[in-house]
Amino acid sequence: MNEAGTPRDPVAGNTFAHASEAEFAHILDFYQVAWEYEPQVFPILWDLDGNVLESFAPDFFLPDLELFIELTTLQQRLVRKKNRKVRRLRELYPNIRIKLFYARDFRALMLKYGRSALVSELSGTLGQVGPRQSSESGPEESAAAGRSLVGRPLDLSTAPVGATVDARASHDRRSRGARRRAVRRAAAAYAPNSTAT
Amino acid sequence: MKHTQDLSEDVAEILLSEDLIRAKVAELGKRISADYAGRELTLVSVLKGSLPFMADLMRQIDLPLRIDLMEVSSYGGTATESSGLVRILKDLSAPIDGRDVLLVEDIIDTGLTLNYLLRYLRGKNPRSIKVCALLDKPARRLVEIPIDYVGFEIPDAFVVGYGLDFGEVYRNLRFVGVLRPEAYES
Repeated sequence: MNEAGTPRDPVAGNTFAHASEAEFAHILDFYQVAWEYEPQVFPILWDLDGNVLESFAPDFFLPDLELFIELTTLQQRLVRKKNRKVRRLRELYPNIRIKLFYARDFRALMLKYGRSALVSELSGTLGQVGPRQSSESGPEESAAAGRSLVGRPLDLSTAPVGATVDARASHDRRSRGARRRAVRRAAAAYAPNSTAT
Repeated sequence: MKHTQDLSEDVAEILLSEDLIRAKVAELGKRISADYAGRELTLVSVLKGSLPFMADLMRQIDLPLRIDLMEVSSYGGTATESSGLVRILKDLSAPIDGRDVLLVEDIIDTGLTLNYLLRYLRGKNPRSIKVCALLDKPARRLVEIPIDYVGFEIPDAFVVGYGLDFGEVYRNLRFVGVLRPEAYES
């Protein structure tokens, strides 16, 4: 649904990375559940200078339900990578609700709607609709990604409590105490009800 | 879709026997009767899957009650064209404003249909609205909705029987069973 509350064609209106995502958007539209596609990128790994090394953009955000959804219909290797990212996200942003939708969940959804014949063409590598224009980044990508993040304001100069830092990074310019205080401020700003200390 | 003449042969495992379901429905009816004592209740069932549950449940509730039926379209779009929006195929036959409504569902999995129905029914200004579901499959939940009366929490499997279908078949099984993959895999 768009902001005016009228339906839109999710395929025409968005560039999805995978056909399963377009189908999922169709289902949400059908049941009149508002959604946004990859609206937010979460940093999940920083170096000692606070530069973002890795980030994660869940596929969907359902604003009315305050729920992020990550679909994965690809092979097990990528599922493990997604699992790790989701686990990391939950550790760093405990107030965020995210559900990982696995291939078996998607398959069951298609079965429920009598569309099991589409499962193979909407799953795995067959379902990829083009080069991934992902806003996600991995450690191999530069820390510049952190400067172009979208979403809620977050102090990217510091990592939330518990953030993994790259041991290979040269040095931290601040004292450990100053860094911890800044990290706590950033974490508290993002997750006010967090129990992290 | 292939299915055998003896439908029970397509079932890999009986999850909930007829006796178990009967006992649970009686228990739910007793609880609902106690909770709504002194009030008049409207049971709203969602076609088609809830029909057997509704029929059994209403006979276990010792209250003056009305029943009503609704049917909504199910998702069936394609990946390449818009499938439109969920539609009310059969609306309530009587107003529910000021009434206590209990929505009777066969199974809650994603919660998408229930979420839509609750929003729709709340717009008709009932005095209260609660949900009674025979089966709850929380592993598939997308929309978290409190379910006031739950019969059974079931594992993440494709179940049929006691109203639940696959391709409109198996609804008449007296138990709830897990469908063999061969029955739905081509």
